[in-house]
Amino acid sequence: MSDIKIKSKNLNVYYGDKQALFDVNLDLNEKEVTALIGPSGCGKSTFIRCINRMNDVIDICKVTGNIEIDGIEINDSNLDVVSLRERVGMVFQKPNPFPKSIYDNISYGPKIHGKGETKNELDEIVEKSLKKAALWEEVKDRLNEPGTGLSGGQQQRLCIARAISVNPEVILMDEPCSALDPIATAKIEELIDELKKTYTIVIVTHSMAQAVRVSQKTGFFHLGKIIEVGKTEKIFKNPDNKMTQDYITGRFG
Amino acid sequence: MNFVLIFLITIFSLSLFFYGRSKTKSISVENNIKLNALPKFYGYYLVLWCSIPALVFLLVWSLFEPVIIKTIIIETAANQGAIFNDTNEANLIYEKIKAIHLGTYFGDIDSILKESAISYAKFINLFTNSKIVLIFGIIIASVIYSLKKIKNNNKAREDVETILKGLLFVSSLIAILTTLGIIFSLLFESIKFFSVINIFDYLFGTSWSPQKAFVRDASAITADEYEELKDAFGFIPLIAGTSFIAFIAMLVAVPIGLFSGIYMAEYASMKVRRVSKPIIEILAGIPTVVYGFFAALTVGPFFRQLGESFGLTVSSESALAAGLIMGIMIIPYVSSLSDDVINSVPQSLRDGSYAVGATKSETIKQVVIPAALPGIIGSVLLAVSRAIGETMIVVMAAGLAANLTINPLDSTTTITTQIVMILVGDQEFDSPKTQSAFALGLTLFIATLILNFIAQRAVKKYREKYD
Repeated sequence: MSDIKIKSKNLNVYYGDKQALFDVNLDLNEKEVTALIGPSGCGKSTFIRCINRMNDVIDICKVTGNIEIDGIEINDSNLDVVSLRERVGMVFQKPNPFPKSIYDNISYGPKIHGKGETKNELDEIVEKSLKKAALWEEVKDRLNEPGTGLSGGQQQRLCIARAISVNPEVILMDEPCSALDPIATAKIEELIDELKKTYTIVIVTHSMAQAVRVSQKTGFFHLGKIIEVGKTEKIFKNPDNKMTQDYITGRFG
Repeated sequence: MNFVLIFLITIFSLSLFFYGRSKTKSISVENNIKLNALPKFYGYYLVLWCSIPALVFLLVWSLFEPVIIKTIIIETAANQGAIFNDTNEANLIYEKIKAIHLGTYFGDIDSILKESAISYAKFINLFTNSKIVLIFGIIIASVIYSLKKIKNNNKAREDVETILKGLLFVSSLIAILTTLGIIFSLLFESIKFFSVINIFDYLFGTSWSPQKAFVRDASAITADEYEELKDAFGFIPLIAGTSFIAFIAMLVAVPIGLFSGIYMAEYASMKVRRVSKPIIEILAGIPTVVYGFFAALTVGPFFRQLGESFGLTVSSESALAAGLIMGIMIIPYVSSLSDDVINSVPQSLRDGSYAVGATKSETIKQVVIPAALPGIIGSVLLAVSRAIGETMIVVMAAGLAANLTINPLDSTTTITTQIVMILVGDQEFDSPKTQSAFALGLTLFIATLILNFIAQRAVKKYREKYD
């Protein structure tokens, strides 16, 4: 059993009058992949957006309760979100490369955090990040071409490389393969397998098969509540809760 | 008379709508048949058939009636012994006859004029009466025809669609033809101008003093006279003044407009946005002549006093005052357009930037603005073409002297101001001075056309990327 990296306690999220999460208690282990499954609108994405405080961007969103990373409370208005997000990277549902060159897409993060002061250091970070995201071989000769010109799967790996570039501890993935074809998906999954050696990964997915393939731990959300959490194997073979059983066998959702 | 007719035609054809609708309904019920179209289409069908032929006839008639009456009257006057040598004199007599008919002629009236006035009145009556009779004839004929069609359960929907398509086509045709007409009238007058003044003397001349060419017949200019005229129409001081004032305006409008656009799009809360956006847009609704007052009466003198207290000579009509006010006028264009383009940068790009730990201002500076840049450039170029074409403020605040200067405290002039100055008051229409206004207009048109073209290309390129 690995150590607990992220711990949420009685986490509640409200969008205006509407409550999106109800008393979520969830522990995520270090250097492991945790998959969050559940029907659309059940709060999976809302939950992971609490981990890097991306909900701050939404005016009407209010978060109460606790989230700790390495035992330090992050749902605290005094916390510096910039350094939090440096530690907790995120990959989104739709690939969202900046309208800049491939090189600039990767060097953007390190630059704003003052890493890589010389051109050589930056080159090194870019190369390392792209290699980790298994994209280096495909783009090394065209680093100055726009990132938006890549294929969907390549764009998503570019976004993963961008998240890696600032050397985070946690990577959040919000349905990273939902806009990709099966081959690109397989590549990303392979990559996730590789990345979990270095990073703690949380992945939201609608694909049960994907959760089984990539994750060690799975959490099932329904209507803003966490219904069941456990080892992926157990959740999919022998869930305790009837609702989980129904969902994974495709009876609803 | 015509308005009464148009009104009657409209009322009558609209009432036919209800008739046609209920009629077809009852036909379908009585005979138990399925209609080819919804009853309302038969209503539209009747309306269109009743109104369009009559209105088109009325339009054509109104175009030709005065011409025909005029020809007839002038001929009869000539037969009665009226003497005129050319069309101008004939026109004059015709105007006299008309004035007598209306009772507004106070000169001597001889027997020929009197006779002609009487026959004029007769013809007017005849034409009006026959117009009314013909229109009613047309309406009756087309109503009978369309009612017959309806009874046969024709394909009213297809026909109505075809007619509507035709109407829309005619509307766009009118818009295009009008534009072409304006361009060609500019072009022809400019060609006349350039047949007198060498185009290179115009484009590269450095002095502008068109009054030199006042009341001079363009067709009879000798080589010596041309030497004198050569440097009367130099375009350089005008384009310099125009660009200079536009530049000052942009210096004001671009930073303020862009920053307020960024604030509106990125920082302002919904509440602030709801209040302040309309307020900024009110600036765009102020008539330019009011800006002109403000520039000429408040800002100009203020700069002069300010300058004098520093010991500077400031003309009360200065490029600075005009440019400044023009810049204020343009702020809402820049701010509202750049607000729009910044808003349409997808949120996912901002999220991507926040997610690697960028702050709001870093995100705006390095991701949002670069992504919106083509659109922002487009909005700035539109603002520039607006500044170049602006007339009222510069007429009131920038002065008339065509100084070739880069001193913002000096008075200078613009293309538009000079066009106004040339065409105000009584003009000899064939003097190069008057014709030069058209050449200026054409040049201005081409300049703004190019700017708008580039701006639209930039905006379009941006749209393609994110839609």
